[in-house]
Amino acid sequence: MLEAKHLHKSYTLKEKNGWLSRRKQQIKAVNDLSLTIEKGEIIGLLGVNGAGKTTTIKMLSTLLAPTSGTISIDGINAVKQPELIKRRVNMIAGGERMLYWRLSARENLMYFGRLYGLNGNTLKQRCRALIDKVGLTEFADRPVERYSKGMKQRLQIARGLINDPDYLFLDEPTLGLDAPVARQLRVLVKSLAKEKNKGILLTSHYLEEVEELCDHVSIIEKGHLLLQGTPRRIIQTIVKDRSLIVVMKTLDKENWHWLKQETDKLGIHAQKKETNEGTRVDMKATFDMTSSFLALAQKRNLQLIRFDAKKPNLEDAIIRLTEVHD
Amino acid sequence: MMKMLTICQAEMRKSHRHNFNNRLIYFSMFLWPIIQFINAYYAFKPFNLGQNSPLSRFVPVNKLGLFLITGCIAYIFFWSLVQSAWMMGYERQQGTLELILLTPASRTLIMFSRAAANLIEAVWMFSIFAILTIFFMGGLHIAHWWLLPFAVMVLLLSAVVWGGFLNTIFLFSRDAGFLYTLFEAPMEFFSGVRMPIMAFPIWAKVIAFVFPLTFVLTILRAIVMDGKTLGSICIPLIELAIILIALTAASFILVRYAEKHAKETGNLTFF
Ligand SMILES: Nc1ncnc2c1ncn2[C@@H]1O[C@H](COP(=O)(O)OP(=O)(O)OP(=O)(O)O)[C@@H](O)[C@H]1O
Ligand SMILES: [Mg+2]
Repeated sequence: MLEAKHLHKSYTLKEKNGWLSRRKQQIKAVNDLSLTIEKGEIIGLLGVNGAGKTTTIKMLSTLLAPTSGTISIDGINAVKQPELIKRRVNMIAGGERMLYWRLSARENLMYFGRLYGLNGNTLKQRCRALIDKVGLTEFADRPVERYSKGMKQRLQIARGLINDPDYLFLDEPTLGLDAPVARQLRVLVKSLAKEKNKGILLTSHYLEEVEELCDHVSIIEKGHLLLQGTPRRIIQTIVKDRSLIVVMKTLDKENWHWLKQETDKLGIHAQKKETNEGTRVDMKATFDMTSSFLALAQKRNLQLIRFDAKKPNLEDAIIRLTEVHD
Repeated sequence: MMKMLTICQAEMRKSHRHNFNNRLIYFSMFLWPIIQFINAYYAFKPFNLGQNSPLSRFVPVNKLGLFLITGCIAYIFFWSLVQSAWMMGYERQQGTLELILLTPASRTLIMFSRAAANLIEAVWMFSIFAILTIFFMGGLHIAHWWLLPFAVMVLLLSAVVWGGFLNTIFLFSRDAGFLYTLFEAPMEFFSGVRMPIMAFPIWAKVIAFVFPLTFVLTILRAIVMDGKTLGSICIPLIELAIILIALTAASFILVRYAEKHAKETGNLTFF
């Protein structure tokens, strides 16, 4: 298990304010953040630009030292014994940097593998297996500069797996990828957690990605934790306006009156509209109305043509949260 | 030991593919030093180089060719490492430096392996040229045959230590490019590549003794030109050893400090 407790990170900015004098300024990038990652679990870290996601990932991967707070990974203190931690973790960032462009995929992997102390046949086999795994077999010996964005990103993932880490930190891994390629990557990430039992931390700006992949989500803002929970819980607790749209072939006056009364009792705000599809009823409430409405419809045997429960997404949730806190 | 070889191999493969991809580079690796050499040689020609010329007090006029080619070869060894250290800037920009620090590999080992890998790639061609030239020029005067490989070892070792130290310095700052200009001309001049340092005024001698190249050249020339035995060159050898140990120790300390600094400020991502 990875446990980070009360992490703080401040950067010192030196600003010139004169010919020689400099003013020091502290930037709090991460402010009292705690999180845990179990093996086999995918944790999402969300926040707007500059919220401190990358800083957090770099602290967990020992590239940055926290100003205060502790990180322990499977019982090892990551701040005091980074050499031990480096064998068990790896980090993958989105984008096209962080590869040797003139080297081929295989050469890149061989180089980093050697830095992890692998050599000989073990290294060769692992490189081959990883290249196959990320689907670069055909291009393995071509220089990276001729790869597409998606191919570079897949190579990044292979590189991040070269030391067979127990914990993997992904910083916007699908940055700039188109939908099908991003989907492939998501499948891969999911299988790493569920089949290979790796603990994964993921930051992303694509919210459906986090919703689809993550078991738990932490939302941070200006370096501190706003909310932690399953993606569903988070949506439930924050997003107040849920909507339900149903269309019926016909809805007579009596039934409509009855429906209006019943929904009012439940705290649902309902509105009727005639459309060429049929009679449409728009409902709004602060909770999930699906089951209550279906029970009502059954009582009066209302024939539904269309039934749309609009699921609020994390984006709404975050926007709402940051609005509340501003 | 195994680890060391693995890292050395990694750096060698990488730098071979990365920096020596283009055939043209071999051309420049070969041609540039030769032009340097010819330039140096003909710069001396117009002077009166007779036995009683003022220059002859410092330059062995009868062995001018040998004097200059030893100067050139040692200079190329050291200079190629300044260039390879400059490549650290690329790694920083590309973000691969950060990934290297993400691995548990020994940082100091990487710095020195990188120097060794680049050195061999960069100098082998000119070395062959120099050996052939020396062979045809004649005038070698060596006390024991084994002193020749010994001299080569001293040259290689000092160059690698120097290169490792430079790599470490470049690790520190994205603006280390200034070192490039700082080292280019001064190193050539002050180390006595073309002029023996004996001919220098005091202040220049002081600068000369900062560069390990100075001592390497003294030793190299004493061995191949004057037929000195090990016993008679032990003083410059000890001086060189002290400088090399100091540079190695400094590299160890600086690497640690650079990483610590990077961990605090996150400056590795600046470029
Ligand atoms: N090396 C640094 N020195 C000084 N300030 C920094 C440094 N790195 C980041 N910051 C600041 O720390 C804060 C958090 O940055 P961080 O990169 O962690 O955000 P992020 O959540 O990853 O943002 P994004 O979504 O844009 O990637 C920002 O205000 C940023 O300006
Ligand atoms: Mg970021």
